[in-house]
Amino acid sequence: MSDRANHVYVVGAGLTRFGRHDDVADLDLAADAVRQALGDAHIAWPDVDFAVGGTNGETKPDNLPTYLGLTGLPFVTVRNGCATGAVAMLTAASALRTGVGDIAVAVGYDNHARGAFNSSPARYGIADWYGETGMMVTTQYFAMKARRYLFDHDISEETLGRVSAKAFANAADNPLAWRRDPLTVEQVMAADMVNPPLTRYMFCAPDAGAAALVLARGDRAFDLCESPVRLAAVSLRGRRFGSFEVFSPWLTPGDHLSPSVDASAAAFAAAGVAPGDVQVAQLQDTDSGAEIIHMGETGLCAHGAQEKLLADGFTEVGGALPINTDGGLLGNGEPVGASGLRQVHEVVRQLQGRALGRQVLNRPQIGFTHVYGAPGISACSVLVRD
Amino acid sequence: MQESQLEGGAVTQRRVTVDATLFASDDPVRLAAGRCDGCATVVFPSQDSCPRCSHRPLAAHVLATAGTVWTWTRQEFAPKPPFRVSRDGWAPKALGYVDLGDVLVEGWLVPSARAWRIGDRVHLTTVPAWTDERGVVHTFAFEFDAEAPA
Repeated sequence: MSDRANHVYVVGAGLTRFGRHDDVADLDLAADAVRQALGDAHIAWPDVDFAVGGTNGETKPDNLPTYLGLTGLPFVTVRNGCATGAVAMLTAASALRTGVGDIAVAVGYDNHARGAFNSSPARYGIADWYGETGMMVTTQYFAMKARRYLFDHDISEETLGRVSAKAFANAADNPLAWRRDPLTVEQVMAADMVNPPLTRYMFCAPDAGAAALVLARGDRAFDLCESPVRLAAVSLRGRRFGSFEVFSPWLTPGDHLSPSVDASAAAFAAAGVAPGDVQVAQLQDTDSGAEIIHMGETGLCAHGAQEKLLADGFTEVGGALPINTDGGLLGNGEPVGASGLRQVHEVVRQLQGRALGRQVLNRPQIGFTHVYGAPGISACSVLVRD
Repeated sequence: MQESQLEGGAVTQRRVTVDATLFASDDPVRLAAGRCDGCATVVFPSQDSCPRCSHRPLAAHVLATAGTVWTWTRQEFAPKPPFRVSRDGWAPKALGYVDLGDVLVEGWLVPSARAWRIGDRVHLTTVPAWTDERGVVHTFAFEFDAEAPA
């Protein structure tokens, strides 16, 4: 392992319970996740050389040292919507490679109010009429994108139900997940329609939670951790012209390439890993259609293959490519800042054989994570147990 | 545009639209878009520069009034503000992206209760959105075109 010095490894991971934390302050949630990650790595906050934190809320991540210790370390704040956690990890890993030190922490957290996000047109540079006429609604977008994808690739609406049923089955066994009541495909399909073809059990909801990682560089990682997981690549991409994003009064005709395609291709290329090598994956499942779409966009399967793969249990924990083994966003909800790091937490635990819930068998070595969100941003990572 | 009579019959006000910049004309109704002289990209509503090639400014461009449904859903619950509920209260509404040839435009689909299908033919119309001190405020929408060949 002579090239260890150039690599960054995950040596500790911490996660709070996801769900409602109405009586807990945002920064307390974040500090809890960091302390767990530090404990997992058997280090203390003063050992940390560099930190990155992100939230979609109003608190200041760089005030976390007030809770953890005012050691003088540099603390960078990031805010990139659903990609916030992944961007925190990317920033921390990049800093380690430039020589800021040996150990970095990445943390993401949020404590959202109940209900769907209420978006302001002005924040997106859209005129008032769009919101006033009722089109500034994220769930409409997910439903219309899912419907078109199912149409283009001849996938049944029942496949949407299978994604949710799988998510809740996985969440049921995950003690930190939020929605832990198993539901059958039929129950998911028969639930109240929110925006057809998507029922209420096909959407994730905003909730609360925090996740943190300890990253270490080179040999130091092997001093700290029995089973370090190498961050083989993490790639961030924005949308190119023509992608189909939320809050779009218009779209251009033709192909609608997603930033997920670019980010996943970049991550696989940088890691020297093919999508077919992945043994456990986390995909952004804001709604059940999104998981289906992202399976294709990240190259984990051919577009249109999802119908048979889901029906055959390919993406269940016992299948050939388990996806969202901790319940994903459908089972955990989405504290926006924490979600991307929850994904990495789960893949790291799976690769280490320490899953909180259902453990993927046969000792997986290669994992993948994917986040995607407004206004058209995606980050993907490849994680490897050497 | 036609005049609408408000409740009580005492006051008649001119019909207004949600945003005058969306419309090239009121009668017949036409949507005002922008078209890039550099790369032919059409955007709706128009904006200062082209999102594909950065060329500016964009030329005024009037959109076609007939097209096909590219995707759709139905809004089953009343959106939160800034959505403005009509005087008649909330009822579920269908909406979709309509392929007008050079651009796909998002808009309400009427009738709301129709079992819409991708490929359905529609034409541009206006529908009441809400009522305020200016009168009945209308927005654009796309209406099912039973006359057109499938």
